[in-house]
Amino acid sequence: MTASASKALKSNAIAYSFILPNLVIFAVFTLVPIAFAFALSFMKWDGANPMVFVGLGNFSRMLHDENFRISLLNTLYFVVGTVPTTLVFSLLLAVLLNREFVGRSFFRAAFFFPFVASLVAVSVVFNMMFFPSMGPVNNILRAIGVSNPPAWSASVQWAMPTVMMAYVWRSVGYYMIIYLAALQGVPHELYEAARIDGATPGQCFRKITVPLLTPATFLVTILLTIASFKIFDLVLVMTGGGPGRATNVLVYTIYDSAFLSFEYGYASAQAMVLFLIVLAITILQFRGEKKWVAYL
Amino acid sequence: MNDVQPSMRQQNRAQLLLLYFVLILLAVFMLVPFAWMASASLQLDKDVFRFPFRWIPTVPRWKNYELIWQRIPFLLFFANTAKLALIITFLQLVTSSLAGYAFARLDFKGRDIIFLGYIGTIAIPWQAYMVPQFIMMRKLGLYDTHLSIIILQAVSAFGVFLMRQFLIGIPKELSDAARIDGLGEYGIYARIMLPLSKPALATLTIFTFVGVWNDFMGPLIYFSSEKLKTIQLGLRMFISQYSAEYSLIMAASLVSLVPVFILFLFMQRYFIEGIASTGVKG
Amino acid sequence: MKKLCIIAALMIVALSISAADKVKLKFVVWDLNQTTYIQPVIDAYKAAHPNVDFELINIPANDYDQKIAVMLAGGDDSDIISVKDIPSYAGMVAKNQLEPLNAYVTKSKVDLAQYSGVIDQIVVDKKLYALPFRSDVWIMYYNKDAFDKMKVGYPTNDMTWEQYAALARKVSNGEGVDRIYGSHYHIWRSTWQLPAVQDGKNSIISTDYSFMKPYYEMVIAMQKDKTIMDYASLKVGNIHYSGVFYNGQIAMLPMGSWFIGTLIAKTKDGTNTQKNWGIVKYPHPAGVPAGTTAGTITSLAINAKSANKAAAWDFVKYFSGPEGATILAKLGTLPAIRNQAVLDAIKKVEGFPQDKNSGEALATKTVRLELPNHPKAADIDKILSQEHELIVTGSESIDQGLANMSKRVKETLAAQ
Repeated sequence: MTASASKALKSNAIAYSFILPNLVIFAVFTLVPIAFAFALSFMKWDGANPMVFVGLGNFSRMLHDENFRISLLNTLYFVVGTVPTTLVFSLLLAVLLNREFVGRSFFRAAFFFPFVASLVAVSVVFNMMFFPSMGPVNNILRAIGVSNPPAWSASVQWAMPTVMMAYVWRSVGYYMIIYLAALQGVPHELYEAARIDGATPGQCFRKITVPLLTPATFLVTILLTIASFKIFDLVLVMTGGGPGRATNVLVYTIYDSAFLSFEYGYASAQAMVLFLIVLAITILQFRGEKKWVAYL
Repeated sequence: MNDVQPSMRQQNRAQLLLLYFVLILLAVFMLVPFAWMASASLQLDKDVFRFPFRWIPTVPRWKNYELIWQRIPFLLFFANTAKLALIITFLQLVTSSLAGYAFARLDFKGRDIIFLGYIGTIAIPWQAYMVPQFIMMRKLGLYDTHLSIIILQAVSAFGVFLMRQFLIGIPKELSDAARIDGLGEYGIYARIMLPLSKPALATLTIFTFVGVWNDFMGPLIYFSSEKLKTIQLGLRMFISQYSAEYSLIMAASLVSLVPVFILFLFMQRYFIEGIASTGVKG
Repeated sequence: MKKLCIIAALMIVALSISAADKVKLKFVVWDLNQTTYIQPVIDAYKAAHPNVDFELINIPANDYDQKIAVMLAGGDDSDIISVKDIPSYAGMVAKNQLEPLNAYVTKSKVDLAQYSGVIDQIVVDKKLYALPFRSDVWIMYYNKDAFDKMKVGYPTNDMTWEQYAALARKVSNGEGVDRIYGSHYHIWRSTWQLPAVQDGKNSIISTDYSFMKPYYEMVIAMQKDKTIMDYASLKVGNIHYSGVFYNGQIAMLPMGSWFIGTLIAKTKDGTNTQKNWGIVKYPHPAGVPAGTTAGTITSLAINAKSANKAAAWDFVKYFSGPEGATILAKLGTLPAIRNQAVLDAIKKVEGFPQDKNSGEALATKTVRLELPNHPKAADIDKILSQEHELIVTGSESIDQGLANMSKRVKETLAAQ
């Protein structure tokens, strides 16, 4: 073996030793079940009787399945509505809370904590605020002249926006933490130099903060996109998927297929479609990484 | 210069006041659910969903906070949850930072594909592979043990992704300099990367700890014996087929948030230091 | 030496006999802490069978079906499984996870007629997979003080739905937060839909739901003129029927008999401030005899993978039989066996309303299962609930909603 080849082998080995503990456990306990679940998407199985191979049967069923179509559209609506909003607000909050002032830790905790609050509490408070007949939001709307304020989570058109608002409210603090951590990596000297040159805070934000935070923005975008595609718990508690199927999302439909109808094969097939959509978006984002993400 | 400064100070003070005003408004908005939880925890169940809600209960029912410890083995559940959270958080910190460093800084065969594989799995909802995973764990004899959850959650694609993104942002010059000085990869990892990634480690600690602390589905599926159960399962014991004792649930939820709050305050100090001070010019 | 051998052999035989006699049964239940009757029945059984011991696996009620599904999929070997509702029963039967009980029933000479016709509704392909131990029926609760206040006569044990609606309108009074509503419809679709199947001509599982129209019209009219609280407020406000009853905000409440035990307990501890409450039979459509109502059953089944089937059967028989029924009745829970002895026992429970009508309210003629046994029961239940929500929030007209129900259920029944 040549000297450079053995060196390459050695550095590969060292690299693998770093990831091995993680990779082995991950492969055995997560990848194997996932692979099994993917294999299931070509089968029909109820968890007890023998599996039956159905080829692409589950996928063609999905094409005609109204439930699947509705939840896919609802989920896309949800993703488009929440990802940019949450991203922008969490970035702004992080910038606000990065300066030094008294009580900063209290405010950081206050904004993070909606994420750990009980989902029931979140749902109750939002529903209280948006209570159709007597809630404060509708009272204000009526006062400023809106004659027929929406029924919010009890209305087919407004239920999803209501859930979206609750999600953004709940999540900004979480992603703000990522931005806060990333902001620590932006050298103070840059801001000082810019200010000496007469830059306004707005310009500092646009020309220094945002570009240097692109790695964090990349992380947040991907995490947010994936998380919002997988939205489930909040919907379950706030509207139960209703009214009707207005807030039925993909994971909800998958869950029902598995645990209500006992069709694990069909559930896996739907999960696979969800995975492929998210994977495609993620790959696109990774391709774009080189173009707009700046690493120091 | 002298006549400019007072008005600049005035401007700064005005800015600061505006900042406080906005922040306090937002904070109130964010904390309303906790106010509701606190108020509900001091009332009778039938008044919890009363409309209009009485924010200040006429007769605060402090007894609720005593009842939660008596009605369910809350102390045991607390201890179980703490044990799981601490072990899993520690394991995740170790495995994720090691793997994150490799993906961020080392060049090896298959790196990008494996990394993409990690991210891809984040996209799959757990509901999809929950049953095959359970069957496997059961066959390994891990059902109804704490070890099952520890193994399943010690490793997370999310943690690896997070660490990789942070470590990739650390200037290459630092590790290159160290390599010239003769430090091996493990040395670089331990002496240079880890100390510089304190904000990232703090972030991962918070996220993992909160994740395990509030996890419901995992313990539901994998724990049957009461002696293994966690706080979230305990909270469910206040919900029965036809009714729910929300006042007790809220009281127990608030109590269970205290460690999370303490941890957060402790960890967020790491967001004050940065690499800016250690600097490349060293 | 020979003596020693004989003694040793005898000891070994004796030990193995007693070891074989000792049985540990794994019993899966929900809400163990909130259910008053499980432990007493177990204790009574153990007193009569000292060689049997129990290991109870307790699962929260709302997660029961899901966890059981995962447990059984993983090959769990618990012996006795509580069956919470028809959809999970249908699911477990379809997956061959339950032991057929026909042979055991015949051998132990269990009289299936004592279960008020419910057995026929859970037999699948001539096989019985569970024995009901508890049965709850729909009745009408009412607040005597609310009626006294408006000087209106109390509801009776024989009312048609029209009479009930008129009564509800008469007794409603007040404005805003002080309003007392004539009746209350909890958000479950069953509260609105069950009257439609009382006459036995139609089933909840159907391909044409237009038969439900008059009943939807009746309740929507009540919602419109504020005889009942509107669905949207109930759902968004997470309002539970117990809370509004305890606070005296409703005069009547059609609800299941499971609420009796809760009402008694909550009146005792003061949570329920409306001490003068009573029950009457569920109203009925004209032409249908009083005492016809809808109900649910809770049953016990034996895991097909159990290693102690004979011992498990003995306990199931006990729990679902007259011995278990007596213990349940004394604790204020309606057992599946409902003979005069049981009804008398319930009347004697402390806190049970002592007026004559309440005493007769629990005597039933025909009990129709809320959700008939069918492999697709769970899916159909979901479809009905979704369209129901659209109708009652006004998002769809009654005709549109019922047409959608019919179309979607038809498609579900057609798909395999």
